[in-house]
Amino acid sequence: MSETPKSETPELVVEDVTVRFAGLVALDAVGFTVRPGTVHAVIGPNGAGKSTCFNVLSGVYRATSGSVRFGGRELTGLPPHRISELGIARTFQNLALSAALSVEDNLMLGRYRLTRAGIVASGLRLPRARREEARHLARVREIADFAGIAHRLKEPAGGLPYGDQKRVELARALCAEPRLLMLDEPVAGMNATERLEMAELIVAVRAGLGISIVLVEHDMGMVMRLADRVTVLDFGKRIADGTPGEVQEDPAVLRAYLGEEVS
Amino acid sequence: MSRPPLTALLWLPLLILPFYVDMFWLQAGLFVMAAAIGAIGLNLLTGSTGQLSMGHAFFLAVGAYGYVYFAGETSGHVTGLGLPAPVAAVLAVALSGLAGWAFSPIAGRVSGVYLAIASLALIFLGQHVLFNLESVTGGYNGRAVPPMKLFGFAFDDSSELIVAGVPFGGLERLWYLGIALLLAAMLFARGVLGARPGRAMNLVRDQRIAAAALGVPVGKVRAKAFTLSSMYAGLAGVLLALTFQRAVPDYFGMLLALDYLAMIVIGGLGSVGGAVAGAAFVTLLPQLLARYSGDLPLVAAPGADGISPAVAARYLYGAAVVAVVLFLPTGLSGLLSGRLPGLRRSATPMKEESPQ
Repeated sequence: MSETPKSETPELVVEDVTVRFAGLVALDAVGFTVRPGTVHAVIGPNGAGKSTCFNVLSGVYRATSGSVRFGGRELTGLPPHRISELGIARTFQNLALSAALSVEDNLMLGRYRLTRAGIVASGLRLPRARREEARHLARVREIADFAGIAHRLKEPAGGLPYGDQKRVELARALCAEPRLLMLDEPVAGMNATERLEMAELIVAVRAGLGISIVLVEHDMGMVMRLADRVTVLDFGKRIADGTPGEVQEDPAVLRAYLGEEVS
Repeated sequence: MSRPPLTALLWLPLLILPFYVDMFWLQAGLFVMAAAIGAIGLNLLTGSTGQLSMGHAFFLAVGAYGYVYFAGETSGHVTGLGLPAPVAAVLAVALSGLAGWAFSPIAGRVSGVYLAIASLALIFLGQHVLFNLESVTGGYNGRAVPPMKLFGFAFDDSSELIVAGVPFGGLERLWYLGIALLLAAMLFARGVLGARPGRAMNLVRDQRIAAAALGVPVGKVRAKAFTLSSMYAGLAGVLLALTFQRAVPDYFGMLLALDYLAMIVIGGLGSVGGAVAGAAFVTLLPQLLARYSGDLPLVAAPGADGISPAVAARYLYGAAVVAVVLFLPTGLSGLLSGRLPGLRRSATPMKEESPQ
């Protein structure tokens, strides 16, 4: 994939973010920093608050308190489509493609924020709308090629094997030319081969595009291999933060994952 | 869309039809064209954006009465602006769009079945206004519709015109106007659906949260789809009024709104061709039953005791809706394009939640 010139990727700073649902505290004063161009993993046992954290970052949930800053812009309180305009793209744990649309159309949806054609221009098929469409379609094909789904472009996305649909999700996020890419369990439900291929793809994204990646994942092997830095959550609290090597040794992390020995 | 030459062939017989068939068929055909335009509009909203509207008949009424008011002259107890007919038609469509846009604070925020209930209120509001605003609508008895006049050419029976030995009256002339409008409506809808706005509408329907995360302003997309669909309804209303030559309030009630929902379900949700096919089915059925009621068992002639053609038609397309929902989720359009439900199901094996 040819590299497009990208404006400097800023830091993502999460500070003291708390999310309460009625009486339940889903996130309790969580903070971490994603350095530009790194892969930052957020891990934790089930129910630790990883997905809640993702949903706050992408504007789906509103934080009860705390702040999320991306290059000087405060994200808390912005609706999701405004956050996307800042160059933050995400994938979803459960597939969130339009099953009836072709893969190509799904990928073109990734270009939504980069394109302008409205109802009138599209309905009348104005030359400028068609030119825009052609230009972005070319880029979509490049990205599909990069993600290994170029041969599937014309098929309805819902008909693809699960692993390929996950790739389409990732490719769709890449089509938005993000500065920060958030991957919510990109290998969940995949077999060993698919996992390996997906890991390779993520490595390629990072190497080729130099964007920051926030990764929520259960597959520890993958996290340890891919991540530059790891934040560990448990019951909505941050219990560790460091390099993969550091958190692996951390007693609090071992307790959270393996349970405490009753002595 | 995928087979343009074949589609073009289908239009050819339509162009020569006025030379061969009588008034009944021309009028029925024009009703189909008007209904098809309205159904395409509703399908953009319901089929493609996933927003259920029960208020479509209201916007048809706005279009029809808007045209009558803008083009009509003040006489007796009714008032009108007396504008040139084409201007009145454009203004009527714009007025429908404006009415749809005015509804967008609701259409943008409320989704699915809740919007259906909210938009149902428009029907009752519309009926009340149509019956009581007599100076504009003519009240219960309705109001005569001024004929369309384009560049001095009148679409009515006033002047004599004979083409190839066939006298061309109002219906024959309107026929070609109807075809042109329907074709334009179809092309425009396909242009929208095949490009950026259509894709956004589809994703808003299928994955609202993902749509927002990709930068699609969900509320705005819904509001725009609602506005666009009401403009289609307005255009359908204008053509309907021109064909009827009289606008009566009774017609624009809840049954009409249900008819339109039946059209897009039978035709196939989200498909432009499907909306046209569904409109033809739902519009022609009662007229055919009425015309041939003498030869059909169980259906009484209009005015006689027994099941009237209109009621029989409702039973029949009610059954058709049930059959389509059960056996043919893609509607007539799916049947025509070979995407049979069985094939389709085997092609989309997974929709399970991913395991943790």
